[in-house]
Amino acid sequence: MLAKLYLLYGFMVLGGIGTAQYRGWSLDHINQIKNVPRSIRDNPGAYRSIYSSYHHYTGGK
Amino acid sequence: MSAGQPPFPPQPPRPPQPPGPPAAPAKPQVKALNCPQCGAAITLRSFQQAVTVVCESCHSILDAKDPNLTVLQQFKAATNELRPMIPLGTRGKLRGTDYEVIGFQRRSIFSEGERYDWHEYLLFNPYKGFRYLSEYQGHWNDISVCKVEPTLTHSLVDHAGYLGESYRHFQTAEATTGFVLGEFPWQVRVGDAAVVMDFVKPPHLLSYEKDKNSGEVTWSVGEYLYGKEIWQAFKLQGQPPEPVGVFENQPAPSTVNLKQVWGAFALFCVGLLCVLLMSDLFSSNKEVFTASYQLASGAPKGEASFVTDIFELKGRESNVEVETEANVSNNWIYLNYALINQDSGRAWDFGREVSYYSGRDSDGNWTEGSRKDKVIVPSVPPGHYYLRIEPEGDSGHPAIGYTVSVRRDVPVFGFFGWGLLILFVPVAFLTFKAISFERSRWAESDHPILKTEND
Repeated sequence: MLAKLYLLYGFMVLGGIGTAQYRGWSLDHINQIKNVPRSIRDNPGAYRSIYSSYHHYTGGK
Repeated sequence: MSAGQPPFPPQPPRPPQPPGPPAAPAKPQVKALNCPQCGAAITLRSFQQAVTVVCESCHSILDAKDPNLTVLQQFKAATNELRPMIPLGTRGKLRGTDYEVIGFQRRSIFSEGERYDWHEYLLFNPYKGFRYLSEYQGHWNDISVCKVEPTLTHSLVDHAGYLGESYRHFQTAEATTGFVLGEFPWQVRVGDAAVVMDFVKPPHLLSYEKDKNSGEVTWSVGEYLYGKEIWQAFKLQGQPPEPVGVFENQPAPSTVNLKQVWGAFALFCVGLLCVLLMSDLFSSNKEVFTASYQLASGAPKGEASFVTDIFELKGRESNVEVETEANVSNNWIYLNYALINQDSGRAWDFGREVSYYSGRDSDGNWTEGSRKDKVIVPSVPPGHYYLRIEPEGDSGHPAIGYTVSVRRDVPVFGFFGWGLLILFVPVAFLTFKAISFERSRWAESDHPILKTEND
């Protein structure tokens, strides 16, 4: 029974990966914004990215 | 053997071969007699089959074949001696056959100075003969004498063969009879000792028993039973005792065939590889835009953000990869990106950092980070797009050159890594569970799978 369930599970995983690849899904975190004003093209500074307050890593050992 | 965990008792009870069922059995009878020692009433339930009978009152073992019931042995039972969980005289239907409980005995083995007890119930049916139930810490076995003599194979681990099945050696021990009650078709005595060997093939077990006095050898075969089956069969009150630990021939709770599951996992790995190859083959993975820019040194003068030229994303809705390559060295550049659809005003907003550090310390040369970064923007419909880019750098940074490339419909290999992990987790869990169960089973055997410091 469990072996059959695993078969079903495996096919679902394979199908899911195939679908993800075909539909162009991503593992990265990307925000979607609707209705960005057209004026951005003329005035890029009018748009503020939600990432602009990101605290940058100043790494190194 | 770990202290505190009892070893399994040798199973099942192996009295000397009892006589077979009578060819033309008489109607079951109960014969009433009196104990010559104390005068208490003695009941013979198996009548002619009984060889010895025990007086419940004075614990005299009597010769049932002798009309005068000669006393063969008298033993002292502790006042706290367990009473049988299935009282003598109880009748029940076990696997379609009516049986009556006619005898009970407690047997023990000693290990590392500790005594481990189990109980055996003798069942009788005048047409079918005798069979036995054994109980150890809530684990039950339905036992009968072997029809043919099993064969022994000596190798690294001994095996016994019976009716085409191979049983693996589990334990060899010396068992002693400590308490008896009721009647028995053999010369039972308290203090009887026998060398016993158990071989298992769950849910079955094979037991070899060699009486230390007579040298007589008996083989019996048993099958694991759950307490509730016994309780139902004999219509006993209450609940059976909860089983403790894993018994030597207890079937694994999960009936999963690990070979099948691992086979399926291997098959899915191949399938995953095929999907990976197909993705690589059929993804257009086409560069649609590339341009190089420079972030001027020092603090930004004026607005840092800008937009790229418009590029077209063709085909079905698919992903977009944005790659950034920057000539950073012991510094970083951060790019606020927005991929904007010129026609619909829909945007995908994300920030990426490219940083690269290197140096030398007491451990030698080291590096950290990368001069390249890639990000996948999911499910982007076809259309005309441009990027809004807002670069940031550390105050006082040198001029940093960077190149931005956009590719359409790229294979995402991360899916396959996750897929492999997701496929592996249940297999690993089932395997771990099965191994843990088997390890518990064999921990108290003569062949533990893994010895611990306490073993």
